[in-house]
Amino acid sequence: MKRKFLYVFLLLALILSACGVGQSADAPAVVRIGWGASPDTLNPGNAILAVSYTIFELVYDSMYDLNLDGTFTLSIAESAEVSDDGTVWTFKIKDGLKWHDGQPLTAEDVAFTYNLYLNTPEYPYLNGYYTTYFDSIESTANNEVVLTLTEAIPNIESQLVFLYILPKHVWENVDKLEYENFEMMGSGPFKMAEYVQNEFVRLTANKEHFATPPKVDEVIFQTFDNQDALVQAIKTGQVDMITEMSNTAVANLKAEANVEVISGAPFSPGVTDIIFNQMLPENCPVDEGGLCTGHPALQDRNVRLAIAHATNKQQLIDVILLGLGTPGLTLIPDGLGVWYNDSLVDYEFDVAKANQILDDAGYADTNGDGVRETPDGSLPLTFRLNWPSDSIDTPRMAELLTDMWKQIGISLQPQAIDPDALTALCCPTFDFDIMIWGWVSDPDPSALLYVYTTDAIPYGSSETGYANPRYDELYNQQQVTLDFEARKEIVWEMQKIVHDDVVYVIPYYAQSVQAYRTDRFTGWITDQDKIELSDVSSLVLIEPVK
Amino acid sequence: MQTTVQPTIALPQSESRFSTFLKAFRKSRTGVVGFWMIVVVVIIAIFAPLIAPYEQRASASTIESIYQPPSAQHWFGTDDAGQDVFSNFVYGARVSLIVGIFAALIAVLIGGSFGLIAGFFGGRLESSLMRFTDIMLVIPDLPLIVVIVALTKPSLFNIIFVIGLLGWTTTARVVRSQTLAVKSRKFVLRARAIGAGKAHIIVRHILPLVMPILVVQAVLVISLAILNESALSFIGLGDPTTLSWGQMLNFAFGRGATSTGAWWALFFPGFGIVWLVLGLTLFGQGLEQVLNPRLDTHHLMAGKPSLSKDALIKPLYPNTLVEVQNLSIHYVNEGKPPAKAVEDVSFTLKEGELLGLVGESGCGKTTLMLSLLRLLPSAGQIVNGKVFYKGKDLTALSEEELNDIRWRGISIVFQGAMNALNPVRTVGDQIAEAVVKHEPKFPKDKIPARVNQLLELVGIVDDQREHFPHQYSGGMRQRAMIAMALACNPDVIIADEPTTALDVMIQAQILELLDDLRKKLGLAVVFVTHDLGIVAELCDKVLVMYGGVTAEYADVDTIYNNPKHPYTQELLKAFPDLTKPKKKLSSIPGYPPRLDALPAGCRFAPRCPAAFDRCHTEQPALHSIGDNHIASCHLVEASK
Amino acid sequence: MNRSRILLNKAAWAIFTILFVILLNFFLFRVLPGDPARAGVRDPRLKAEAVEALRVRFGLDKPIINCFDSLNPIQIGDCGVNPLDTQFFIYVRNLLQGELGFSYHTNRPVAEVLAERLWNTVLLIGVGQILAIVLGMGFGIFAAWRARTSIDYVAVGTSLLLWSLPTFWLGILLLFWGSANGLPIAGKATPGMSSMPLLQQWGDIARHMFLPTLTYTIVFMGEYTLIMRSSLIDVLSEDYILTAKAKGLSAFQILKDHALKNAMLPLVTVIAINLGFTVAGAIQIESVFSWPGLGSAIFEAVVRRDYPILQGAFLLIAVAVILANFLADLTYSYLDPRVQAE
Repeated sequence: MKRKFLYVFLLLALILSACGVGQSADAPAVVRIGWGASPDTLNPGNAILAVSYTIFELVYDSMYDLNLDGTFTLSIAESAEVSDDGTVWTFKIKDGLKWHDGQPLTAEDVAFTYNLYLNTPEYPYLNGYYTTYFDSIESTANNEVVLTLTEAIPNIESQLVFLYILPKHVWENVDKLEYENFEMMGSGPFKMAEYVQNEFVRLTANKEHFATPPKVDEVIFQTFDNQDALVQAIKTGQVDMITEMSNTAVANLKAEANVEVISGAPFSPGVTDIIFNQMLPENCPVDEGGLCTGHPALQDRNVRLAIAHATNKQQLIDVILLGLGTPGLTLIPDGLGVWYNDSLVDYEFDVAKANQILDDAGYADTNGDGVRETPDGSLPLTFRLNWPSDSIDTPRMAELLTDMWKQIGISLQPQAIDPDALTALCCPTFDFDIMIWGWVSDPDPSALLYVYTTDAIPYGSSETGYANPRYDELYNQQQVTLDFEARKEIVWEMQKIVHDDVVYVIPYYAQSVQAYRTDRFTGWITDQDKIELSDVSSLVLIEPVK
Repeated sequence: MQTTVQPTIALPQSESRFSTFLKAFRKSRTGVVGFWMIVVVVIIAIFAPLIAPYEQRASASTIESIYQPPSAQHWFGTDDAGQDVFSNFVYGARVSLIVGIFAALIAVLIGGSFGLIAGFFGGRLESSLMRFTDIMLVIPDLPLIVVIVALTKPSLFNIIFVIGLLGWTTTARVVRSQTLAVKSRKFVLRARAIGAGKAHIIVRHILPLVMPILVVQAVLVISLAILNESALSFIGLGDPTTLSWGQMLNFAFGRGATSTGAWWALFFPGFGIVWLVLGLTLFGQGLEQVLNPRLDTHHLMAGKPSLSKDALIKPLYPNTLVEVQNLSIHYVNEGKPPAKAVEDVSFTLKEGELLGLVGESGCGKTTLMLSLLRLLPSAGQIVNGKVFYKGKDLTALSEEELNDIRWRGISIVFQGAMNALNPVRTVGDQIAEAVVKHEPKFPKDKIPARVNQLLELVGIVDDQREHFPHQYSGGMRQRAMIAMALACNPDVIIADEPTTALDVMIQAQILELLDDLRKKLGLAVVFVTHDLGIVAELCDKVLVMYGGVTAEYADVDTIYNNPKHPYTQELLKAFPDLTKPKKKLSSIPGYPPRLDALPAGCRFAPRCPAAFDRCHTEQPALHSIGDNHIASCHLVEASK
Repeated sequence: MNRSRILLNKAAWAIFTILFVILLNFFLFRVLPGDPARAGVRDPRLKAEAVEALRVRFGLDKPIINCFDSLNPIQIGDCGVNPLDTQFFIYVRNLLQGELGFSYHTNRPVAEVLAERLWNTVLLIGVGQILAIVLGMGFGIFAAWRARTSIDYVAVGTSLLLWSLPTFWLGILLLFWGSANGLPIAGKATPGMSSMPLLQQWGDIARHMFLPTLTYTIVFMGEYTLIMRSSLIDVLSEDYILTAKAKGLSAFQILKDHALKNAMLPLVTVIAINLGFTVAGAIQIESVFSWPGLGSAIFEAVVRRDYPILQGAFLLIAVAVILANFLADLTYSYLDPRVQAE
């Protein structure tokens, strides 16, 4: 019975497939990209998800382009000049730039856009963070934009790179918050052709782009809710490239003919961190709802140091990432290039040494249950271990950590928690012992460095309660140090301080894994420090395989 | 999440003891299969530490050990963290069972108390409780789960709690209706009458009768809970620190088992879920089968073919309308001795003749009548004899040929006309249907008039054709049935106790009507009844049946004035004779024999006041006494 | 009671239930932990001013209801605030205007997002349910008619097996079977089809619908088969079926004219109640096959903690189920003339 029923369906499938899409010989070159997400919004001001920024990068231009090696190049301006005190920047916009509808793109649009971002406090990122130092923006008759800052800052490029230039003639007539921007009038190498939320984004090439006219005709980003379907789709050729996949599928996919799998640091490098609640009772932000119930032993550097020595990072990388990651060191990921302090030496994996440290510090297992107690014997070293329940990898890490730390007489109570509930427990409540969570980095290190500052405690960005006046001072200093080398030194020193104090254990920096079909398009950029095939740099270069 | 396959459960016939329960349960093949399927899982769960070759969740240290196919070291292969799938599977059985059982416990506790309280106390309390249940039934459960999980933590306990909270509504409904049914039973009423406390009555009298249903519900909720837990795990709301089968699937999906081709990481936990859920469902079906034995038989099932194949047998009385020759009918059920419902019965029926078929309930009267048109239930089988209608052998006709004779040649007025009429179609429509079927050339536009005419014939006026059966009174329904039976001008009407359950006035009306029609239309009528009084007034001939055999067969005067069979005589004593008003009425002590456990000798012997030794050992043959007078009694033989 | 009074009663009851759901819906999502304005965003780049601006934008700066500023943690507030300026009143007022608020995640009006998704789900659930009902009824009728034969045993066994399958598990198995047979495995349509002739677009959607619909049909078919079978056996053992048979009607005529309508009655109720559960099935199937429907919207909203979407979807489904039950009652009263008598 069942067979007959399946047969009927098969027949139906055959009939249906007969009326499928036909491919003609001179069909346009359409790149089909499969990804696991969909832009949250096309209004750049409101956007939070990284995938939205991927689309913005393709459709809009901005003052600077961020390259895969982490450097910036000037884009729509032919020159950028800064006043001697570093507070007034003058950008000369290139002549002859055009919006996709043919209207000219001028300094007036740029000034309009920057003012829009500056004056819309509801824009979560583009207002708050990136326009922090903006004072005023004006355009001149000479097609120049004059940007006045409140302070001289060293990283103007990373501040401007995400401030996509919007057409004044569209945006001056719309509600800047509720405008959904489905038409996405831009000036970039690709034009918005069709957008169906949670289904696909279809872009057509802007062959008249001033810098990088694409060689292909169309790019389609298709949303897959299911990672297995994503891998299956590239195997069967339903898509030409996928931006993400399960690490476990790599070996299998590599064996596939016509599919190339690549991995490397992600375009927006990420860091996974094991967070210790080391909030001292006297610093507890009670006014902000602080409960500060952390285990007192975690306030002792010795305990954190022992834990660091007892953590086998390579095993974590192998089992969780199948080797596709690099051992972690500081909160600044290695993908951030120069800012990453690679001179630091990590605490080696050495269980004996870890046990020695705890013995020396007076943590002994007095009752013989395999778990050490605090020196006064009052509390066992049993820690709550929490992580956001939306992660599928972290429970595996929790299992491994439980096994590893058992070796040094530390027991864990693992528990996944809803991300919102965890945020509520975390900061600035400090109602936890140890958490596993992660960050995605901005191109500039400043945002992540802020996480350790004392200022960040009441605000809720500090997850550890770490407070160090010297560190705070260095943080403020690097914010305004204009000299690149000098700033780098400060950033490195800050990382060293935090590493010495064992504020976190950083298990690894996960790599990005992507794959493309070799029989469809050629020219993908795969030899850079960072991997991002859906970046504009690759998509304007690729061309169909002859 | 899926809904329950909701059983409809009738009252258990009695408070069966465990052994009788076991006996009944063993007969349900599905139930037994389901039981053993569950036992396997339970054994695995209990002895997990002995069965599992590795510790639970023992992670690997190398990349190579991840997603290894099944081998001698790892029977079910390894998973995304290099753990032994077989060991996790074995321990997972524990978690899945615990989730199922405890969630079911919560659901049954809540639903059970809601249902019991609502059903027992009734009134406002009941209506408000059931309204609340109705609301909960329509509220989509998933958002509730999200909120509860977000409010608390996705720990196993919370998940069990949430699933339990969602599963109680159907239980409440079922238990309530069961309690309502139990509440009005005699011993409960008695307990209330002697002033037993409410709690006492609930616990001692009602709960034991509701318990079986709670058990069936619990089994179903367990299976639902296991499915729901796996679905919750799949959408990321499970507890990843407790490795149930659902959670194993979650890791396998989330960490790319399918794209890796690691079918084993997906197949075994999924198989475990299907196995356990299927086992529980089968087990539940088996339990239900015991509590509410349904034969799964119905009127459309193919009957058993007649064993009377001898085509050479010809009718003996060619000028009769109906001739029944030595007809024997058995009910054949697997694994049981056949019930000999009718043995060697013969009679004839001429045009305009009215035959009375008399006997107590359970004497095979209805079976005999149903067999004439081959309307027996599927277990019934003609094992010998013939039925001729106008010379045609009805036992040998095909269904199609028979369908032409049904109603047009012979029609039946069934007993209990409430159920004999389809409740969702109008009476007129059901009468018209017969006309349309048998007289396809009858002009369509004249059918309503014809139906009205038929209804008028039986005394239903004022155009009540368009009414539904429930709008008719009992007597009207019975008359409507007669109208329907007359719709195709049949030669013979079989009236199967058409007057039982009607009041005396209406009985008389209907009888008069039948007699009228017989005289007017020249119908032949077989009148089935246990009331000899009726027979005396109307019939030409009488056939008295007892225990499936002919007791006596003669014309009506002979039966009344010269009954030979003690059974006939006893029946007559039970019938008030208006000519001898002072005579004491007596009823026959005892009951007719069970047809599957007939006595060795005469079937009436155990109750017969005149029985002697031979009666208990030897079956009497049919003895012809005079013209058209037959009786089966050793006394008759002796008197000859 | 006559029919119109019964229906009036039922309608009043449906409206009461909807009001209850609206209340529950509002307060349920207010007792959740965390700050909705920051839901899913834990980023040092998000400044306090931006969070505050977002709170104002989503109306979260207002008290929940008189006397309560917040329900998690519970903060007692001023009881004398203008009741028109509370979150509760604004919620009710927006509802009356058909507005369901703004999605935290996409910044789009919830009603708009849900409307978009609803049609896709209606398409999927509609076709799937119709197929499941038709096939389930077909197999159920056949099994009942041939009760206690091997056909019946196979039908019942298969139905129980289908019922026991975890929906998402079956979906994944079919996804692999489908992709090996060249069927599309994700989405509703091939991107870029909108320029094609309408017939081709429909064909394309039909191809995409095939696998999710198949999964859907298989999962729900078993249950309908079992219900139809047992209900039909009950009806077929009624006396009036014997009457019909005695009338000389053929088996087909009896099924068609006397049994089916009566046997459909329990099925109608189950289908209506099932509507709520079909959404749960849709969540699993849509996330396996990336079908952009209500189910995947809910799934995504769960992942992103997009409470306005969840809230809207919750309300939509509850109202749909309540209406479906009301419709089932209506249908019932027309199918069964006895309802008037009760």
